[in-house]
Amino acid sequence: MADSPRILSIEDESDIRKFLRTTLGANGMMVLEAETGKAGLQKVVSQIPDVILLDLGLPDMDGMEIIRQIREWGRTPIIVLSARGQEADKVEALELGADDYLTKPFSAAELIARIKVALRKRNQPQGDAPFVYDHDNLRIDTAARRIQLDGEDVHLTPIEYKLLAVLARNSGKVLTHGALLNEVWGKHSTDNQTYLRIHTQHLREKLKDDALNPRFIVTEPGIGYRLKP
Amino acid sequence: MKPDNRRPAGRPDPDKLLKLVENETSGSPRGHLKVFFGSSAGVGKTYAMLGEARRRQAEGRDVLVGVVEHHGRTETAALVEGLPVLPLLEIEHRGVIVREFDLDGALARKPSLILMDEFAHSNAPGSRHPKRWQDVEELLDNGIDVYATLNVQHLESVNDQVARLTGVWVKETVPDTIFEAADEIALVDIPSDDLLKRLAEGKVYVAEGANKRAAENFFKKSNLLALREMALRRTAERVDAQSDELNAAMGQNEAQLGQKIMLLIGPDPLSTRLIRHAKRMSVRGRAPWFAVYLQSDRHEQLDEKDRTRVEQYLRLAESLGAQIVRLSGARPAQDILAYAQQNGFTRIVVGYRRPPLWLKPFRATFAQALIEQSDGIEITVVHGATGQTREPVTAAAVIRPYLARPLDYLLATAMVALCTAIGFVFRDHTPSNNLAMIYLTGVVIVAARLGLGPSVLASILSVPAFNFFFTDPYYTFNFYDTYYYVTFAFMLVTSLVVGSLTARLSRHARLVSNRERETQILYGLTRSLSAERSVDMICEVATRHISEPFSLDVTLFVKTPEGLKAYPEGVTTPDMRETGAINWVVANGQMAGRDTDTMPSANGLYLPLLAEKETLGVLGLTARDNGHPFTGAEILQFEAFASLIAGALQRARRSDEAAESKVESENEKLRNVLLSSLSHDLRTPLTVMNGSVSTLLRMRKELPRKAMDELTSLWGQLTRLQKFVGNLLDMAAITSGHMKLNFQPYMIQEIIGAALGRVEATKGGRTLRTQISGNLPMVMIDGGLIEQVFINLIENAFQHTDDDGEVVIYVEKDADRLRVRISDNGTGLKDGDEARIFEQFQKGQELRSDRSGGTGLGLAICRGIVQAHGGMIYAKNNRMLASSDGMRSGTGASFIFTLPIATSFLTSQEI
Repeated sequence: MADSPRILSIEDESDIRKFLRTTLGANGMMVLEAETGKAGLQKVVSQIPDVILLDLGLPDMDGMEIIRQIREWGRTPIIVLSARGQEADKVEALELGADDYLTKPFSAAELIARIKVALRKRNQPQGDAPFVYDHDNLRIDTAARRIQLDGEDVHLTPIEYKLLAVLARNSGKVLTHGALLNEVWGKHSTDNQTYLRIHTQHLREKLKDDALNPRFIVTEPGIGYRLKP
Repeated sequence: MKPDNRRPAGRPDPDKLLKLVENETSGSPRGHLKVFFGSSAGVGKTYAMLGEARRRQAEGRDVLVGVVEHHGRTETAALVEGLPVLPLLEIEHRGVIVREFDLDGALARKPSLILMDEFAHSNAPGSRHPKRWQDVEELLDNGIDVYATLNVQHLESVNDQVARLTGVWVKETVPDTIFEAADEIALVDIPSDDLLKRLAEGKVYVAEGANKRAAENFFKKSNLLALREMALRRTAERVDAQSDELNAAMGQNEAQLGQKIMLLIGPDPLSTRLIRHAKRMSVRGRAPWFAVYLQSDRHEQLDEKDRTRVEQYLRLAESLGAQIVRLSGARPAQDILAYAQQNGFTRIVVGYRRPPLWLKPFRATFAQALIEQSDGIEITVVHGATGQTREPVTAAAVIRPYLARPLDYLLATAMVALCTAIGFVFRDHTPSNNLAMIYLTGVVIVAARLGLGPSVLASILSVPAFNFFFTDPYYTFNFYDTYYYVTFAFMLVTSLVVGSLTARLSRHARLVSNRERETQILYGLTRSLSAERSVDMICEVATRHISEPFSLDVTLFVKTPEGLKAYPEGVTTPDMRETGAINWVVANGQMAGRDTDTMPSANGLYLPLLAEKETLGVLGLTARDNGHPFTGAEILQFEAFASLIAGALQRARRSDEAAESKVESENEKLRNVLLSSLSHDLRTPLTVMNGSVSTLLRMRKELPRKAMDELTSLWGQLTRLQKFVGNLLDMAAITSGHMKLNFQPYMIQEIIGAALGRVEATKGGRTLRTQISGNLPMVMIDGGLIEQVFINLIENAFQHTDDDGEVVIYVEKDADRLRVRISDNGTGLKDGDEARIFEQFQKGQELRSDRSGGTGLGLAICRGIVQAHGGMIYAKNNRMLASSDGMRSGTGASFIFTLPIATSFLTSQEI
């Protein structure tokens, strides 16, 4: 199974590890396991997994600290497993560099879908390199700075374009409000979320998207936005 | 006292500016005082005040006439017409009905602005405060604005000048501090000639009867001119002071040249003149001033009357804006100068009385000593010339030390007799000169025990007794030896001197021991209180320590959430007057009752127990022998007790609070640990089960059909269990009051969109649509929680509708709120269920039997979340609502909640 993706689950509950093992194994993935944060960090270095599933409530280490240490040297996608109602933790984890989160309890289908997005992201261009996003008749070509919806050109303001490009580069991944403000407006505007709402609203109108029934831009209440992959 | 730290020039002091602004803004709870200030009666102050009050009333303010004396003048009376007038209170005083301002009536009526004529008026005995200006203070403290009128002669600091000028001694005065603290001064001024003309026309009220002549004498042109100048000057000085205040705040304090004045106060009545002198000096020089009393050993020699007078003078100085300092030291001049140097005083004001001529060569006066040693400090000496208002030295004052009980004189005589008896025993064995020593010993004993008077008597009696019994020839007043003249003379002088010295020493020793006793009491109280942490014990210790040594009945009233609690328990309830005084003390944080300025007619003296500006209770003291008044020194000591008790009460309260908050934080910690471990322990198996079942469900091709059916049913139960656990944990967070809201701006459509995605799985065959009226502004909400409200309400609607039912979400803007209605066409609510269903663990009775869904928590959670957002939530059957929304009226129920829209989003253009 040389080609099968390697998933590292850092989780102290053996039952959950067992469930992950069965489910992921059944979907052709290879599961590496670590019971503690320390063991997890060692395995990240020695085994070089493709995706990391990280439980935030580990007994030996703060989950945030683990994300921070992994991000010091690597970009391996991290999916955080957390409980409902802990929006603040999710936002913090995402802003520290986690790629996605799953709220316990989650279904096998959800888990597989998120891992697949993370695996795909891994192969996508990083930084400012040009890329093409194509989903449900929306085509974004950053090299040409061209947006086409149902075959027609869409004209965006520079801010709207920047916003869409950031979302598209990270499509499938939740971007927190803070991260979006930082990417689009720069460091010092991270607390004016009203701007973000207004421009997102405008962007949705131009993309003929509906917040009530999103075709492209999905709202994650309390956390941020996600562009459908 | 700290040396004042001046800021470097040119830098605005933000604190001072802020204070100025605070003084100016009407936002401060204290009322605004405007004084209509004039040089004398008849200038038209009342008229001016009424005119302005009418304008304020026309602007819509609630103006009330507290007191206005129009003295029958028609112009003034006409202006009162149409203004609401507070009825005067009738007070009976010795059979005479006196009409006074009704302070309680005014406080109860609480107008926005009240008019108080004759600011300096003295209230009738039995009123709450002796002076009207104190009534005004209380009105201001209660946030009521006051207009008042005042003549310059009623200002404390010019009181003596006016008296010398006009020969009329005005008793009704207003402390300068009150005048200076007024927010606004309006000078009402007319030229003196016009005033005289008005007087001639009878337009000025002049008292009738005996006072008439005095009043006419008062209204002389020279007097009026001088008074007018005084009024103008005081107003100008006030304006200067204000601009100084502003300049100082702006950093331009050239005006303050670092002047600082010290006034030395003693028991001499000259002090009152000195105080006013120093006050005027400080106003003119715009310098702070301090009244200093040096407690040297001479203080011990002062009698009660002198000490009381010193306290009076210090209080007078304080009312004129001085800071009070008490120093103690053995070398007056050096100690004063050292203190002045250390604290940056530039000038010392001291009184001077010419000592008696015969003493002059022997004793330098205090003023001389100061002048000789002063180094760079200006000394201003005010001469207490003859002819000044000096308290005459009465015969009583001279002979006071000699006054003693007649019994003491009898005892002194008996002592001489005893000495004679002892002398008889030794008469034949010793030279007669030695026998004189026996008498001397007797005089010393008398002086030490009985005081000066009896010792003088004993001295005088000793000489003839010695002569009669012990000089040859015995039993006659003759003597052979001429040298006995010398013996008698020495005997008399020695016994008088030794006697008076002994008397003085023993008096001093008594004073010292009194003082030591006071210190002992204070120390004992401090020590006992410091050990106590419970209010009951503190009160018990305090009453025990104070009541015995002073023969006082001590009652403590401690503020509790249920009202004042009296200690010792079971103490007889004080009568109305006492209760009034106690409540006043609690409300105002100042002392009241006997021998104070407020309600002096009360039996007891009531002191506030103040800690950090908060009144924790009242210390009530009633003398057991009712005749004896409390002296200033005693009251000072009681204040020390009160502050000790207050400190102890504060500590007790602190330790209670600390214990409570410790328990509270322990509880919270425990709750959080419990919640998160519960959450973890419940979710882990759920996650595993969820994962396993969902994996199995994906293998539907490999499993037998029967197994699939079981799995599907298991999946349904699992989903319910998950929802229940989630709700339970949410509810725990809400009811514990520890739900933290993360407010962010949202378009409500975004939240609805997210919620719709989450309920998709449970929707089945139902139609779910959203209808939004008009453009909606953004709302500040916790997105995650409001999403939960939508999910709960939508799922609740699903549970109460058939599988082909319809659920519609209506959203509209209603003034300053967003209104969301989630309406279904199901069975509707049973009557009376509308409110009940939002309680925990309540469910609508008519649940569809095939979907035993709800946990009874979902709606309670919604209510908790919506209320935390400042919104409302309620339910109604659709038939109770207007059927304009296109829903079939008569079926189903609507759940409605509102969310407030922030003003900034209300005014901004919708997107």
